[in-house]
Amino acid sequence: MRVIENLKNGKYETNKQTLPQCNEAFLKTLESVSHTILSLQQKNSKIPVLQNKKGHRMVGLATIASYLVKEAKIEEILGSTVEEKAIVQQWLEYRTSHIDRVSCWEDIRNILKDLNHYLEDKVYFVENMITLADILIYYGLHPVIAGLSFQEKETFVNVSRWFCHIQNYPSIQQHFPVVVFIKNRIYSTSH
Amino acid sequence: MALTLTVSSSSPHLAVLWTVEHLKGQVQINVKEGKDTVLRVTDTISFTDVHSIIRYLARLAPDKGLCGSHLTEQTEVSHWLEFSQTKLMQKAEFAAGLEALNNSLSLRTYLVGNSVTLADMCVYSALEGSNEWQTQLQQNQAPVNVRRWYSFLEPQLVF
Repeated sequence: MRVIENLKNGKYETNKQTLPQCNEAFLKTLESVSHTILSLQQKNSKIPVLQNKKGHRMVGLATIASYLVKEAKIEEILGSTVEEKAIVQQWLEYRTSHIDRVSCWEDIRNILKDLNHYLEDKVYFVENMITLADILIYYGLHPVIAGLSFQEKETFVNVSRWFCHIQNYPSIQQHFPVVVFIKNRIYSTSH
Repeated sequence: MALTLTVSSSSPHLAVLWTVEHLKGQVQINVKEGKDTVLRVTDTISFTDVHSIIRYLARLAPDKGLCGSHLTEQTEVSHWLEFSQTKLMQKAEFAAGLEALNNSLSLRTYLVGNSVTLADMCVYSALEGSNEWQTQLQQNQAPVNVRRWYSFLEPQLVF
């Protein structure tokens, strides 16, 4: 009955690993980091370059984004275990190598199909916590998802659910317009 | 007047413990162990039903949005509370109930709105206590959306 003991004594235990996102300071930092990342992304087609105060030059969106996260001391969103860190990096690379290079509808379809399959049993891209991967892929996919019809959104139902969750996550959305999702299926007749 | 919550020591209800834990710092509650689960509000008013207790506690801290943040969501929460006690508790209806739950979760991360509510909590508790569900989990036959939702909530509920 440790639980009741703790409640009685007013002890406060949080599972830090799964819930890094709960405090306001974290969200505020996240917001300003997201803002910087987004402004870098907007200089379209050019590879972003960042020069910090010490005179170091960094090139590339994923590189700069990871640097900003570390600088802002919210490193937990880069993953906590070795495996998580690797998977976050994998998706950051996916963002630059796949999502940023789509040229036709066929490419977009393939990407959405892949992601839809991957996200079937996941809430976030990496484990059960928000990471930089979710943020960058959300920013990268936003124009695509905003252009989908309701029917297409339902075809890629897992992507839609993930996207809807991320856009409602505090401090990430910035100035992006809200994409509307219907929370019940309307096209599939299988149930 | 401070609230007094007596928690049944033989079978503490997960939803009650979790609600108290979640509202910590916002609502002053004295917790003690006893035979049954009872929330004493004043000398004359007390609640014994789990759903009444958690609803009452959740309404004391409206900012947390545990009951849903507007009327539609509040109604949805009520729907799921009832669902957790009817469909998921009766053996004959369990399969159909689980399928309905799976469909509802296909486009949602949480059952209601964009954050955790009493709905998630009660449905989760009902599943956790269900033998059918545990068997399905072990045999890897659980429907994918419910499984994802369940394992997403799980680490948040480890006290």
